Amino acid sequence: MEPWVVSTSLIFLYLAATIVIGVLANKRLSANMEDFLLYGRQAGFVVLYLTVVATFHSAFAFLGSGGYFYTHGIGFWAAGTWTILVGAITYTLGTRIWALGKKFGYITPADMLADFYESEVVRVAAAAVSVLFTIMYIQVQARGLGYILSVATGDRIPIELATALLLIVAALYLIVGGLRAVYWTDVIQGIWMYVAVWVGALVLVYKIFGGPVALWRRLATERPDLLSLPGPEGFFTPGMWVGMTIVLSFGIVFQPHMMIRYYTAASARTLKLLGATTPLYLMSLFIPMAMVGLGGALVLPDLAGADADTIFPELLFRYAPAWLTGLILAGATAAAMSTLDSILHSNMTVLTRDVYQRYVAPNRSQGHYVAFGRCVVLVLLAVGYFLSVNEIDFLVSLVTLAAAGALQLMPAVLGVCFPGRRTTTAAGAVAGIATGLVVLYLTRIEFVRPLGVHEAVWSLAANFVATWAVSRMTRPPSSETVERIHGEVESFVYGDRGR
Amino acid sequence: MTVRRSHYLPRTWTGRVAAVAFLACMALAQPPVVHGFADRIEPWVLGMPFLFAYLLGVYLLMIGVLIWTARRRV
Repeated sequence: MEPWVVSTSLIFLYLAATIVIGVLANKRLSANMEDFLLYGRQAGFVVLYLTVVATFHSAFAFLGSGGYFYTHGIGFWAAGTWTILVGAITYTLGTRIWALGKKFGYITPADMLADFYESEVVRVAAAAVSVLFTIMYIQVQARGLGYILSVATGDRIPIELATALLLIVAALYLIVGGLRAVYWTDVIQGIWMYVAVWVGALVLVYKIFGGPVALWRRLATERPDLLSLPGPEGFFTPGMWVGMTIVLSFGIVFQPHMMIRYYTAASARTLKLLGATTPLYLMSLFIPMAMVGLGGALVLPDLAGADADTIFPELLFRYAPAWLTGLILAGATAAAMSTLDSILHSNMTVLTRDVYQRYVAPNRSQGHYVAFGRCVVLVLLAVGYFLSVNEIDFLVSLVTLAAAGALQLMPAVLGVCFPGRRTTTAAGAVAGIATGLVVLYLTRIEFVRPLGVHEAVWSLAANFVATWAVSRMTRPPSSETVERIHGEVESFVYGDRGR
Repeated sequence: MTVRRSHYLPRTWTGRVAAVAFLACMALAQPPVVHGFADRIEPWVLGMPFLFAYLLGVYLLMIGVLIWTARRRV
């Protein structure tokens, strides 16, 4: 049987399975926002583990990471650092966000920030940052999905149609089953993508090189520049290493689709175990991708620019059996869809909760907001498709800022979750976000990475300085609110010892 | 209003050990260590080039610290 038949059949089988799961999730669904948007705050360890890892690793894990190793060499192994940092952030910060969400009923990141800072401006700023910088990811994931399906079918399905098809499937099971459907499909997606990457990489490495050790030896002989820093094109300078560590750990965690996951945990213990163990999955997924990318640079050295991202499928089609190629491309579809559905869900949640419920139609029934959220998904589906098939220069720039954009919420969130000697104020939080975004734009677009330092470092530093300076000069939240929220954090972290 | 102690510094012995150990390991996976001492192909470790094996070892150490912290229920 031809490879494209196997690939296409498996991907369509997988898509059908996700819709069935959406229908099953719908049977457990009750018409209230916490159930539809937050899985009823009862996600256990296994489900939460697999949804977090599946959401963190997107189409980039299959395509982009291989391309980075292929082009820039071993420096991309820095990825291990930021994936482990994500675990530490979950352990220390995620548990606090969970505790406050459970106590005060927060659903979105903006809920928490607006409550503490007693400011609607903070709510709007946080919601705008949340939506603006993640809606662009819909485009990235949708395009990745379209590409994968198009490649899998040997270009028999054009990329535009493939993108539309996969967006519709993701939106469909989200509309039908809410976050429960997203979590249940993520369980399959998380397992499938991990197995697919490891099996695919090992098959390729043994078939082409005779094993990992032989691959490393050949690299040392033929391409030693790929095994040292800063890499063949000088990309992984110290400034880039530190910047990528910050932006791809904190920057990802502060995106709403990750922060909202903290609210959904059944207990703080679940989140702590999650923080301690998710790095094992997240980090180890880059080991096979290193072998794919670096090995690909030896046997297919002529892929330039964005084509480098196709190294994994290129190797599979040349060297792997058809059934395996099909399985792995279905795994790649799973990786991209698990991130896409989460971003659709988080944008739907923010727009429903922070905009519609707050400013347009307050005091309606829970069922009304759930119905509105489903309509928002349809709108996001249309927007996502439009962005995916139209190349708009400004939006392309915005995508490059996405993770560092969400990072700008960091000082404001820390001000809520980590009581310090000085309290951050609403004006300080807003000034910090605004300053950070301006500096981010300047250091990414206008004056690209001054001194070779990543834009995340510049923007975050400016953000912290502005937050601190303005907070010193402006009025803090009322003592009752600070006492209520910081008191809860104190009680959660230290129990009676904190009182 | 109650004046609270900062949450940026751990208050328990286990918390302090966990924070220092994690940050120390983190420093080993950052410049200048990575771009200086660790940036080499030899010696080979278990068939892997030194930089790759070194970072893998540091990463496992960091995960070990997190798991130890969770087990101690900090």
